[in-house]
Amino acid sequence: MTPSLVTVDWLVLAPALAPVAGVVLVLLGDAVLPRRFGGAAVALAALALVAGAVAAVWLPRAAGGAVSTLCLPAPDGACLWTAGARASTLQAGVLLAGAAALALLHEGRPRPRDGAVAATLLLAACTGGVTVAAATDLGTWLVALELATVPAVALVALRGTRASAHGGLSLLVTSLASFGLLVLGAALWLTATGDATFSRTGAAAAWADPDRQVVLVLAVTLLVAGLGFKLSAVPFHAWTPQAYAGADLGTTAFLAAASKLSAVAALLVVLAALTDLPGGPGPLAVVVGVPAVLSLLLGTLVALRQDDPVRLLAWSTIAQAGWVLVPLTAFSDAGLRAAAAYVLVYAAASLVALAVLGRTGARTLEDHRGLLRRDPLAGGTLTLALLVLAGLPPGVVGLVVKIVALAPVVEAGVVPVAVAAVLAVVVGIAVYLRWVAVLLSRQVTPSTLEEPSTARRPATLVVLVVGTGLLVVASALPAGLLAAAT
Amino acid sequence: MTPWLVVGLPVVASVVGLAVRRDDRIARVVAVGAGAAALFVALLGWLVADDRAMLVAGPGLRAGELDVPLDLVVDPPRAAVAAVVALVALAVQVYSTWYLAADDRYGTFAATVSLFTGAMLLVVHSADLLLTVVGWEVMGWCSYLLVGHWSRRASARRAALKAFLVTRVADVAFVLGLVGLAAGAGSTSLGLVLDAWARPTECIDAETAAGSSLGGALTLCDAPDARVRAVLLVLVVVGVLGKSAQVPFQDWLPDAMEGPTPASALIHAATMVAAGTVVLAGLFPVLAESPTARWVLGVSVSVTMLLAAVLAFAQSDLKRMLAWSTVSQVAVMLAALAGSPLDAGPDGGLLHLWSHALFKALLFLALGWAALAAGGTAVAALRGSAADAPLLRLAVAAGFLSLAGVPLVVGGVSKEHVLATVWDGAVAADGPGVLVLVALVVTSSVTAAYSTRGYLLLTAHTRGGPEPVTPPAAVRAVLGTLLVLTVLGGLVVLTGTFAVHSVSLLWLLLTAVVVAVGVAVALRGGFDRDPAEVLARRFVPVADRGLGVDLLYRRLVARPVLRLARLVAFVDTEVIDAYVRGTVVGTRAAGWAGQRLHRAERPGAGVGLVLGAVVVLAALALLAATGVLRWS
Repeated sequence: MTPSLVTVDWLVLAPALAPVAGVVLVLLGDAVLPRRFGGAAVALAALALVAGAVAAVWLPRAAGGAVSTLCLPAPDGACLWTAGARASTLQAGVLLAGAAALALLHEGRPRPRDGAVAATLLLAACTGGVTVAAATDLGTWLVALELATVPAVALVALRGTRASAHGGLSLLVTSLASFGLLVLGAALWLTATGDATFSRTGAAAAWADPDRQVVLVLAVTLLVAGLGFKLSAVPFHAWTPQAYAGADLGTTAFLAAASKLSAVAALLVVLAALTDLPGGPGPLAVVVGVPAVLSLLLGTLVALRQDDPVRLLAWSTIAQAGWVLVPLTAFSDAGLRAAAAYVLVYAAASLVALAVLGRTGARTLEDHRGLLRRDPLAGGTLTLALLVLAGLPPGVVGLVVKIVALAPVVEAGVVPVAVAAVLAVVVGIAVYLRWVAVLLSRQVTPSTLEEPSTARRPATLVVLVVGTGLLVVASALPAGLLAAAT
Repeated sequence: MTPWLVVGLPVVASVVGLAVRRDDRIARVVAVGAGAAALFVALLGWLVADDRAMLVAGPGLRAGELDVPLDLVVDPPRAAVAAVVALVALAVQVYSTWYLAADDRYGTFAATVSLFTGAMLLVVHSADLLLTVVGWEVMGWCSYLLVGHWSRRASARRAALKAFLVTRVADVAFVLGLVGLAAGAGSTSLGLVLDAWARPTECIDAETAAGSSLGGALTLCDAPDARVRAVLLVLVVVGVLGKSAQVPFQDWLPDAMEGPTPASALIHAATMVAAGTVVLAGLFPVLAESPTARWVLGVSVSVTMLLAAVLAFAQSDLKRMLAWSTVSQVAVMLAALAGSPLDAGPDGGLLHLWSHALFKALLFLALGWAALAAGGTAVAALRGSAADAPLLRLAVAAGFLSLAGVPLVVGGVSKEHVLATVWDGAVAADGPGVLVLVALVVTSSVTAAYSTRGYLLLTAHTRGGPEPVTPPAAVRAVLGTLLVLTVLGGLVVLTGTFAVHSVSLLWLLLTAVVVAVGVAVALRGGFDRDPAEVLARRFVPVADRGLGVDLLYRRLVARPVLRLARLVAFVDTEVIDAYVRGTVVGTRAAGWAGQRLHRAERPGAGVGLVLGAVVVLAALALLAATGVLRWS
């Protein structure tokens, strides 16, 4: 028997294959029953996403460590798909966030006709997000990243309004620009390391040679810039408020949670090859630190001035992207873990907040006045989510991930980033408490909004309850979250 | 264990009393019973005390480099003072059951008196500076509560606050001084503190005889720094001056007359104002070696005793007269410490404390009786109120005789000893002896004059005097006991409790002459007229205001402090907070600017930022190429 070119373990690929199978089934169903398959398509897609998430959580536990497949034959023996505990957790996060976005998308959209299209797009984007988290070679990584991004453009534009067209166009332009930067960065990486995978040995060899080091730094700069678009880090953030405000709520939820998780997963793949470099990260800390500081400050400051809750969340996303980048400036394993834990908590809190917006339909902060009394479930979960984002108890987990994010930075002595983070915490408390104060207000303004009807939006309610449950559990047992992000 | 029992009984009584304060009957039994038990134990302690000081070990603590043994000590003078404190406290408790029978907060009052007594007994028996501070501060707090007992009256609240604030200000110095002394000794034990700060005279003499210079001898003998010692002792003295209402802190005590009369008797006779004398007597071996501290003390008490005596003479309120007389008499006690020669010891002052406790308690309780009958303590109301009750008349007579310092009654005996001690000090010409002696002699005369005035006013024959009030037998028995002790208490010098020299006949004669001069001056207007009306009519309103010192406190201390506070508050809210508010404005402005920058709704903005990012990259690459940014 001749040795095959690549060994494939289909089971290990299950987290990515589940949404792919979902896409096939949805398209098939839509072909057989055109125009009437929307609702079933959404249910099928959600099932596929949850199944993929279960597989992602279960696989490394069953294997007792990192799982690999798509391995090349010896002597090279590199595996093109390697999912450790952190990558698996991020994969599960992407898939669950995708499912939550799908739920909001489905119930926020009065036309069931688009159901199959939207489900297909979402499943495809999630497949890309899952794959990029486990990709170790440049080719897979680039393709998966684009797979995670391009459907989002279509999702934004799908709504068909002028604003959504603007948002979609904005997103498309930035996506193309970022893809250009990413390709250039990948090419430079290959030039510097002579290796088409993100391996530590290749990066260390390039780092040791002063000439190749310059190229490596430029490669990382371009890769960070390209991912900065997807992550909404300043100065690559301009599309974010427009796209959030223009798209409908489910798409916004996808951009805010699943898309961010994919981007962080991709960034962690790159930076994992660069931890613990001899002589310290030096210029690399600047490359990551400058967007981090700018995002923290600009995002928090502008969020302070917003009255539209969606726009506020958009600017809050920019600030939180800065928080994700903060621990990465340390270029240590603790920093990678902190970034993963942070983005997971951020995604859960954002989804809860957006689900409340879907439930109440509020378009300004004032619409939420006295929400805690009118609708205790929505008011309470939104309060918890905002406190988690601010990092205040009882949103304990928000505080924990902020501390965990700052610890490696302080240890590595990257003072400017730590100072900016502290300033952002202070102003950020004002940002979120401004909203919380409105929620807690005793005075209830006679609202023109219709009374919330839980019966009409059961899926949103599920997102609300599950998301809040995850936040509460993580607040009670933060160690579990940190272990899953290691 | 005796001293712990003496201290502990009243403290326990106060806790129990506070628990049962709603029921006057039980509160009465607890207060009087504990007072009697404490007196019994204290008397027992006095009987068994021998000349050597007996140290009773406490539950020692160690705080870092500081050793805190928490010992108590018993020696004859301390035991005698403790006994008289316990006696006065018991008298006050018995008297209160009658005097405050109708008061709805009697239980609280009795518990506070018990705690006050316990604190004073702690100071008396303390051989540890920490315990001294504890007792001292608890007394300050209790005096606040007692003076302000009738807190529904604005004047009582003000007087309580004034007493508290004035003594607190002085306490700052007191605590600083004691902390310094303890730090120098590495221990709060009184004995070790005295050892550490005493001048090693014998060693210095030996070294100088062997040929060293004085400076060399001081270094060789490891003598304490005299300047530091002087500063610390002056701080302690300032604290004592505050608690004992000496110049410049004197004005709180007359105002404290707003408290119930039994409380005044306790504060004036046995506790609080006398505590300073006890503390300084404990520190006497060190105090005697520091001329600076003795001068500060001597000048203050000389001014105080004369000023207070003059003010006492011209008061239009007899209770305030007694208050000023206390200020003057406490100055006399402290004078014995300031003017005493090195070898005489502090017992002259303690003896006067002992005798003052007896006759001042008698006078206050008698005055309270008379005032209850007359319905007030002003001269106009009290005139002739003691004329018709024989026991009251006798008590007033004995009390004022003693206060005047007539030979052979207790106050006379102790005052002669103070005079003799200060004379020895003046002859030795070390410290403020002469000044103190002159002040003492003049004060004795004035004291005799206002004592005469008090007696004349209380026993004057008036028509249609107030209805006589007859207190119960227990109260009469208490007054009788104090009366007997006031007359015969001078015999205590024969027991050898207080280490004082015997007094020559010459001193008896001299005292008699000085007193006679004072009495004669007071009697210039005859037996039927108020001597103050005759001699100092225009001075009376000024004296009633205490020379306007209250105004001085407000102008010189309260107003500057308040102005400073306002300034600090202004700086805080308008200057420091301005930066805080400025950050708010700045933050909001920055947010506004950021939003303005993002108003363009076209994707061109994103492309522009891509260009910006490329510029950043180019800058980074340029820096790398030129070596400005070090890669490794």
